[in-house]
Amino acid sequence: MIRRLPLFFIAVSVLFFSLSAHAQALLQAGAEAPAFTLKDLDGKAASLADFAKGNKAVVLVFWSTWSPRSDTALKRFEEFHLKYRGRGVQVVGVNADNQTITPEDRQKIRRTALDLKLTFPLLIDEGLKTFHAYNVIALPSTVVVTEGKIAYELPGLPLTRTEDLFDYLLALAGEPARTKLEARYQPRYDAVAATNLARGLVAQKRPEQAEPLFRKAIEKDPRYMLPYVELAKLSEAEGKTAEAEELLAKALAIDPESLVVAAELGYLQAKTGKLKEAIALLEETVKKNSYPPGHYYLAYAFGRNGQLKAALAAFDEALALNPYEPTAYTLRAEVYQKNGQLKEAAADYRKALELLLGVRW
Amino acid sequence: MVRAFPAGIAGLLALCLVFALNALSFAESAEGGDALLKKARELSAEGRAAEALETAHQAVKVEPDNAAAQETLGSLLLDAGRAEEALAAFEAALRQSPGLRTARTGKGLALLKKGDTAAAEAALKEALVTNPNPSTAHYGLGLLYERRGEYDKAIEQYKEGLKKSRGRKK
Repeated sequence: MIRRLPLFFIAVSVLFFSLSAHAQALLQAGAEAPAFTLKDLDGKAASLADFAKGNKAVVLVFWSTWSPRSDTALKRFEEFHLKYRGRGVQVVGVNADNQTITPEDRQKIRRTALDLKLTFPLLIDEGLKTFHAYNVIALPSTVVVTEGKIAYELPGLPLTRTEDLFDYLLALAGEPARTKLEARYQPRYDAVAATNLARGLVAQKRPEQAEPLFRKAIEKDPRYMLPYVELAKLSEAEGKTAEAEELLAKALAIDPESLVVAAELGYLQAKTGKLKEAIALLEETVKKNSYPPGHYYLAYAFGRNGQLKAALAAFDEALALNPYEPTAYTLRAEVYQKNGQLKEAAADYRKALELLLGVRW
Repeated sequence: MVRAFPAGIAGLLALCLVFALNALSFAESAEGGDALLKKARELSAEGRAAEALETAHQAVKVEPDNAAAQETLGSLLLDAGRAEEALAAFEAALRQSPGLRTARTGKGLALLKKGDTAAAEAALKEALVTNPNPSTAHYGLGLLYERRGEYDKAIEQYKEGLKKSRGRKK
C-alpha cells in the first residue's frame, strides 16, 4: 500500500508518526479537530472549516477501496446523507487508499463513487496526513466533529456501535431517537488541556515535566482515560512496567469498557510473560470491537505463547484493518525473530521503519 | 466617493509604487533558488514527481552553490531510480557543505542503489557517526545487510533505526 517517498520527507514523516495512532484513537473526544484542506477527485480543494460552516456537525468517513468494509460504510452514509441532507450534518468521505495516489488509484476511487452512487463530497488524503492527524487506526473509521472538536469516533464498522453512532447522528439531524440515547461522556476541558500540554512535552522529550501534568489531568477527571495511557507509556519507557500495569489496571477498573486501556494492559501483561491473563483480556477486547491494536497485541501474546499460526492470523486481521501501523510489523518481526525466522523478521522490521520514515526502497 | 488627488501627490504615490514593485521584484529574484527549492518540495509532497525533479534542477541551475538544493535534487533523483546522477548531486552538496549529514546518508543510499556495497557501507557508517538522528543511515545499512543475506545484522540496524525514530519502540 505504501509507495516510495522522497528522502526529504523523512523529518516530516517522523513527526507524524512520533506518537503512534493507537495511543490516542478512541480517546479523542473533546480534543480539537485537526484542520485540513484536501482536494477532491477533480482537484478542487475544500477544508474542514468549509464543511463546518452552517452545519452542526461534520462526519468524516475515512475509507479505502481495498478495505472490505468500506463499501458497506459508504453505502450506509450515503443513505443517511440522502435522507437528512440540509439538517446540519455534513458527511464527507476521506479516501486513504495510499500515501501516494496514482492515476490507477484515482480511477478505482472514481469507480467506487460511481458504483455506490455517492453524492456526498469525497476528498483524497494525499500523503495520509489527515489520516494520521486524526489518529485513524482502522479503515473504515468515522469521526464526528462538532464546534471544532472531536465529538465521536468509531474505528471499523462494529455492529452495535455503528447503530449507536447512527442514533447519535439522527439526534444531531433533529430526528427522534430510535433508542434511549445515553448522555455521551465528554472529558473535562481542563483535563484535556493538561493532557495536550503534557503530550507536547513528551514529544519534546521532556517527560519529567509531562508526568505531573498527566497526574493533574487524572485528578481533574478520573474518567478520562488518555492520561492514564500516556502515563503508563512513560512509566514503561523508564522500565517501570509494574507501575504502568498498575496504572492501567486502575483505569480499567474505572472504565471496564475502554478498549484502549484493556489492549495496552494486555500488551504489558504479554510483555511481562503473563500470557494466560494477556490472551484472555485481549481476546475479550477484540470480541468487543475490531480494534486493530487489540488484534496485534493478541497476536504478539499468541506468538510469545508459541502459538505461531494463531499469531500470524491475528496479525493479518490487524493489518487488514490498518496496514499503516508500524507497531503491527514490529511486533510480528519480534515473533518471527523469536521463532528463528530471521528473513521474515528483517522484512517486517524494514517495513516498520519504512512506515516511520515515510520511505520505501 | 473617489476624490481626485492633486497631480503632485498622485505622481509621488505612483513613484513610491514603482519603487515598491522594484524592491519586491529584487527580493523575488534574490530568493529564486530557495523559492524554487520550496516549490520542488511542495510538488513532490503532492506526488508530482516529474515536475518536482524539473523544479529542483532549475533551483540548482539558479544557485549551483546551494547545498540544500543539490541535496533535494539528489533525493528526487534517487527516488526516480537515477542513482548515478543522485550520487553526483549528493557529492556536490557535500562539497558545498561537508557537514550536511542527510546528504552523506543520501550518498550512501545512492551507492547502495548503484550496487557499490563496500562504498555504501563506508558512507552510511560515516553518516551514523556524524548524524545525531541517523535512522535513515540505519535503514540503509539494514537494506545492505538484508541484501547480503546477513539477516541478523540487518535486524540489528533496523531495530536501531526504529529506536531512534520514535520515542518508544515496542
